[in-house]
Amino acid sequence: MSVAIETRELSYRYEDGTQALEGVSLKAERGKVTGILGGNGAGKSTLFLNLNGVLTPSGGEVFLTGTRVSYDRRDLPELRRRVGIVFQDPDDQLFSADVYRDISFGAVNLGLPEAEVRRRVEEAMERTGVTHLREKPTHALSYGQKKRVAIAGVLVMEPEIMILDEPTAGLDPQGVSEILRLLLSLRDHLGMTILLSTHDMDLVPLYCDYAYVLRSGRVTDQGSPEELVCRPESLRANQLRLPRVAHLMEILAEEDGLPADRSAATIGAARKEILRLLKEEAK
Amino acid sequence: MGTDRYAYASRLRRVDAVPKLWLTLGSLVLCISCDSAAVGLVTLVLMGALTVALGGQKPAVLLRFLRLPLAFLAVGCLPIVLRPLPAGEGALWAAELFGRVRWGITAEYLRMGLMVVCKAMGAVAAMYFLSLNTPMTDLTQALGRLHVPKLLVELMELIYRFLFVFSDTARRIRVAQESRLGYQTPRRSLRSMGELVSSLFLRAWRQADRSYTALESRGYTGSLDTLPALRTPGRWLYGVLAAVAAVQILTWMAERSWLQ
Repeated sequence: MSVAIETRELSYRYEDGTQALEGVSLKAERGKVTGILGGNGAGKSTLFLNLNGVLTPSGGEVFLTGTRVSYDRRDLPELRRRVGIVFQDPDDQLFSADVYRDISFGAVNLGLPEAEVRRRVEEAMERTGVTHLREKPTHALSYGQKKRVAIAGVLVMEPEIMILDEPTAGLDPQGVSEILRLLLSLRDHLGMTILLSTHDMDLVPLYCDYAYVLRSGRVTDQGSPEELVCRPESLRANQLRLPRVAHLMEILAEEDGLPADRSAATIGAARKEILRLLKEEAK
Repeated sequence: MGTDRYAYASRLRRVDAVPKLWLTLGSLVLCISCDSAAVGLVTLVLMGALTVALGGQKPAVLLRFLRLPLAFLAVGCLPIVLRPLPAGEGALWAAELFGRVRWGITAEYLRMGLMVVCKAMGAVAAMYFLSLNTPMTDLTQALGRLHVPKLLVELMELIYRFLFVFSDTARRIRVAQESRLGYQTPRRSLRSMGELVSSLFLRAWRQADRSYTALESRGYTGSLDTLPALRTPGRWLYGVLAAVAAVQILTWMAERSWLQ
C-alpha cells in the first residue's frame, strides 16, 4: 500500500482555545477515495485546512508520500499545489464572475506560462464537463454547475491529493450522482488520491474505499465501508447511522433471524445477498 | 441584472473590450463637446444602429433601455426651458405668477433644452453600446490593461461578483421575514429592514473570511491574477470609431454653417 498523505498525532487548537483536533492519525492511500465521516463540528473542515497549510497544526506531523510536510512560509505554495481543497459552498470559492478566469486562478498562481495555463484550463473544463459553461457568468450557474467549476478550479493546479468538503451537500439526487461519477473518474483515470468528508452514509459504501470516523476532533473508528457497517453501535455513538440498505440487513438478521450478511450496504450487494437467502430457503 | 444579461448574448461578446471601450469613449466625448442637438441625434442613431447591427440586440430591447433615462431628462430639462423672464422680453409663451413674477419659455432656452436632451440621449446610446455588448468582467479586465490601478480593478471585480451573492442572501432573508409578517406595518417594516441590513453585514463579514481561506488554498498571495479567455482583437472597431467620429464632425460643421 502506497500512502499519499498521512497524519500522525495531528492536533489543532483555535486561538480561542477550542481544541478542534486531538491526536488525529490517519492514512490516505494513493489512488483511492478515503472518507472522513462525522457529524457537524467533528473537526472535518479543520482537519482539511491543516492538510494544505491554510492552518498550521499545533501538534503532530503530516507526511506527503513519506516526506514530512514543512509549514514554513516558503514551502506553503508547494504544499497547496500538491494538496487541493474544494470547499463546501462553491460561492465561497468562486471569486470571479467569469467562469474561465476563475478556473485559471490557481494555475496562474503557480507561475506557469500562458499556453500551459490555457491547456490546463481546457483540460479541467473537459474533465468536469463545464466546457459549455465557459461563456456564462458565474451567477447564472446552478449550484451543481458551480460545484463542478469549483472542482475544475482545483484540478488546474494538478494536485496529487484532492480534498472535498461535503462534495454532495445541497445537490439534487442527479447532481449527487454526477459528482460521484466525476470523482470516481478522477480516481480511475488520473489515479488521483481523494479525501472527502461526508455524513451522507448511503454514499459511503458506493464511493469510499476506506473511511475514518471523526468525533470531537478524534478518530474514533476506521475501516473499509463493509467493516464499518458491521459495527452499527460505533456509528450511532458517533452521530452517524447505518446506510439504509445495511439497516435493512441488520433488521433482517436481528428481527427476522435470517442469516443475512450485514456488510451488504449497497443495492447490488443486498440484491445478491437476498437472492442467496431465497435460494437457501428453497432448498 | 439589467444590461448584463444582454451583454452575454451579444454578437460582440467575444471581441476584446478595449476597442469597444474606445469606440464608446470617442463618440461620447465628441457628442458632449460639440454642444449640438444634431450631433446628439446623429450619435443616438449611429450608436443605436451599431448596437443592433453589430451586437445583434433586438431594437425593442434597445428602445426599452433608451426610455429609462427619459423621465430623468424631462425633469432635468424643465428648469432650463421654463424660467423667470424679465418684463418685456419676447417669449413663445409666458404667464404672470401672483401678478408679479413672469415665467415663460423663450425660443433660445427651448433650443437649449432640446440640445441638452439630444446630447444626453446621444451619450446614453454610446454608453449602452458598451454595456449591452461587453460583460462586466471583460470591462474590468480591459481597465486593468489600460493601467487603472490594480487594487481598484480587483475591488470592482469582487464587488461585482459578490453583489449577486449578497442580493440573493438579502432576498432570502426578506422572504423569511415576510413569511413571519415582518413587513405588516411601517414601524415593523423599518425594524425588519434594519435587522436585514445588520445580518447582511455580519454575513458579508463571515463570507470575506471564508472567501479568503478559499483563495489562500488556491495559492493566493495578494493579487487576483487570472487569465481571461481568448478574445478576437476587434481592431476593425477602430475603423468604425473613425467613421462615427467623421459623421459626428461633419454634422457639427453642417449645423454650424446652416445656422449662420
